[in-house]
Amino acid sequence: MGPLINNNLISQNTNFFLAFLVGIGFGFVLEVSGFSSSRKLAGVFYGYDTVVLKVFFTAAIVAMVGLLFMSLFNWIDLDLVYINPTYLWSTIIGGAIMGAGFITGGFCPGTGFCAASIGKIDAIFFIGGLFLGILIFAEAYPMLEPLYKGSFKGSPTLPQALGLKDGVVVLGIIFVALGMFWAGEWAERKFPREEY
Amino acid sequence: MKPRIYLALLIIPLGLILAAVPANTTHPYKLSPQDLLEYVNSGMQYFTPDEVAQMIVSKDPSLVLIDVRSEDEYEKFHLPGAINIPLSSLLEDQWKDYLHQDLRYNVFYSNGTVNSNEAWMLTRQLGYENNYVLQGGLNYWVETIMNPTAPPSTSPDEEIAKYDFRKGASQALGGGAVMESSSQTAPDLPKIAPRPTKKKVDGGC
Repeated sequence: MGPLINNNLISQNTNFFLAFLVGIGFGFVLEVSGFSSSRKLAGVFYGYDTVVLKVFFTAAIVAMVGLLFMSLFNWIDLDLVYINPTYLWSTIIGGAIMGAGFITGGFCPGTGFCAASIGKIDAIFFIGGLFLGILIFAEAYPMLEPLYKGSFKGSPTLPQALGLKDGVVVLGIIFVALGMFWAGEWAERKFPREEY
Repeated sequence: MKPRIYLALLIIPLGLILAAVPANTTHPYKLSPQDLLEYVNSGMQYFTPDEVAQMIVSKDPSLVLIDVRSEDEYEKFHLPGAINIPLSSLLEDQWKDYLHQDLRYNVFYSNGTVNSNEAWMLTRQLGYENNYVLQGGLNYWVETIMNPTAPPSTSPDEEIAKYDFRKGASQALGGGAVMESSSQTAPDLPKIAPRPTKKKVDGGC
């Protein structure tokens, strides 16, 4: 009966070991799907390559469907699954900064490390910038704290916000995702780029 | 057909099933009887009257006394600052934020310890932390804190010190006689945000 950690079915060390394996698997899939190319990531913004969108949305809907089925089979207690708390202002501002870094750098943090590990120089600079950003944030934290912790909303989920059953929301997101895949493929045909 | 069509044809029916079946709301017991027995044997669920008296006297904000007796009994007498959650209504949603939190120590008490232990066991099974039981219940409280008996003069110093403390606490808490409750309703505790579950490393791409 999951989650494994909350119910003490595995030790903290086993947890770290599993996280290590999952992390390696994640990095491997990122690299295999071509995410270590900054052009591929920037492609989402220009519409010539939407594989990032497709991979992440596929992961999301597979995970959603899987978790809900596991909950139905009593394999996991969804109330114990950690949900990132929402701080509205840091989400909005952080999201904008992350998006800007994404489009200028051509990586998100995970793919940045992925690309650095295969020796891409731009990725190494990207990671340097990442640490610089962390340093600035840490130094300015006393000033930023009210903003960082502003407008705390708890850990709301879409079904709670919409007042719908989990399954209905999942079905809706599946249709949204499939619609986005279709729109993505349309964009790829519309804005093709020969070589990148 | 392209594989993506197959995948779409697979995931849509799964989504339809999820939308159609009722959500699973059962929460299987998280604590095995073995774990519970170990916990009970260790006696870790108890706060002694002295500890509680100390916290009340020093106005420790981390203490929340929870009276699990009926409303009538609560109104006749309750410990200072205690709130009333009758055992029969323990599982109602309105109390969840009080019982499921990680800011304060909830100490259940009843006349003896049967009801308070039942409350403790229920919350323990639900996986709530920070709930405790007043050792010996109100009866023992009255005996030790309200009407402490002086130890013989040959007792070790600790016993004398304990007695002195109890005498002081008794005076501070209006002891000697069983005190009348000053307020009829529970004080408004500040709203507690739902308990965040264990921090984990955040995800992201």
